[in-house]
Amino acid sequence: MAEIGHGGKEIVERIMEPAQAKEKIKGLKQIPIRSQIANEVIGIAYGFFSPLEGFMGKADLDGVCKNMRLANGILWSIPILFDLSDAEISDYGIKVGDTVVLTYQGNPMAIFEIEEIYEYDKKTICQAVYGTTEDKHPGCARTYAYKDKFIGGKITLVNRPKINPPFEPYFIPPLEMRKRFKEKGWVRIVAHQTRNVPHTGHEWLMKGAWLQTYGELPIDKPLVGVLVNAIIGEKRKGDYIDEAIILCQDELRKSGYFGDHNHMTSLTFWDMRYAGPKEAVFHAILRTNLGLTHHMFGRDHAGVGTYYGPYDAHILLESVKKDLNITPVYSMNWLYCPHCGEVTSEGLCNHKSEWQKFSGTVIRSIILDGVKPPRLIFRPEVFDLVMECAEKYGFGSPFVTDEYLKNRTPVFTIPPLA
Amino acid sequence: MAEEKYPINIWINEERYEKLKAVGLANLCEEMLAGLKVLRVYANEAQKDKILKVFPTAKFDSATTKSIELLPRDVKDKMFDLVIEKKTVDILDEFLSKY
Repeated sequence: MAEIGHGGKEIVERIMEPAQAKEKIKGLKQIPIRSQIANEVIGIAYGFFSPLEGFMGKADLDGVCKNMRLANGILWSIPILFDLSDAEISDYGIKVGDTVVLTYQGNPMAIFEIEEIYEYDKKTICQAVYGTTEDKHPGCARTYAYKDKFIGGKITLVNRPKINPPFEPYFIPPLEMRKRFKEKGWVRIVAHQTRNVPHTGHEWLMKGAWLQTYGELPIDKPLVGVLVNAIIGEKRKGDYIDEAIILCQDELRKSGYFGDHNHMTSLTFWDMRYAGPKEAVFHAILRTNLGLTHHMFGRDHAGVGTYYGPYDAHILLESVKKDLNITPVYSMNWLYCPHCGEVTSEGLCNHKSEWQKFSGTVIRSIILDGVKPPRLIFRPEVFDLVMECAEKYGFGSPFVTDEYLKNRTPVFTIPPLA
Repeated sequence: MAEEKYPINIWINEERYEKLKAVGLANLCEEMLAGLKVLRVYANEAQKDKILKVFPTAKFDSATTKSIELLPRDVKDKMFDLVIEKKTVDILDEFLSKY
């Protein structure tokens, strides 16, 4: 049976088998790509970005900028672009109609059918997607870093990425993910978007969203799951290391704060744009393709600094609800109330003057100071695992350092084509 | 209108707590988040801006706590030592004069 993704389109993996691929790429020009583009090749080829079949042409980009829709009318909020400089285009001697091989880490990764080579004003993209043209906005900075020309065309993966330990169990592409959900018997699954090691505020966000999602369903057997979908992409110094993020999210299940019956951890390769409301719509699309039925959105989802209002994402999602095949679940903040002696929702507790708010940033500060947070705030199993990850993967630190950036094992590698 | 103050949370581990007790400053600690001890050094707007400029890893948590976080451990150690030396949390002018 066809698996239907965002926009009502069937999810089709664009992946060629190795024997055919080896023959197909013979004699083709090779173009090396950077990690952002490699992440997006995976997103396109495995159907995370369905219905996209490749990098956007001008009509799609224009539609995304002007009315948040692809040229075919399907809702889409973030441009997915392939860029080259004029010099590179000339040096490679590429033109519309060519087929080239994209290489990553020196090995063939995907076939790229060049359908269009075009220019587009980067400020226009920034204003449309990020609501600002300031280059200090990380999404704008990424946009301005694109080279002279954009290339549109279809992508076909010719070489599957080898996911390196400890990430292998967590790379679950859309078609496989949907099978897993069926095996578990879940009829509703709510997405938890994260780039963090979980503290109990996150844990309760998930638990709250699970309760909201369960709604009127019968409770005699487990029908609802939480899918943690960690975004793995470019790292900045001071972030938690990727290994700690993914393993600690899963630790909540392993240590019994959740269970196999209601919790699963996975990852998606994506370099965050911090586009706030527009990124929230993108996340909804991504998780629709993964087979989720619900998506949790908290305050200032995928925002940065003070560019977006705390509930701008919710307002935008409401405005495009009919185009989304996933139900937004809006979550209030969780905080510690010393009067209640527990982590509670700001929508429930009325000891407002006593509230003690905490965030991932505060927890990182506590750990940086060499202090173990109390179990009501940060689970001891998670703390121990953070420290273990620091030793095992982080060169002594649970946070990204220059040494980690230089010497870490990549999350995935593209092996030589067998 | 009173000037806005932004806390820098110096989280107190056993070693720091022993040092505070030794000089009779343990009462400067507040208890937060289900049992954590914290010493709060407050920055004004100008001091906050200077801290964020001088220490690029530091972050102002504008969304949740309105506090200055993620200062490197050695920087907080120096602030803490200055609190012990001066027996007050009002140390930021002197601390930042070195930067």
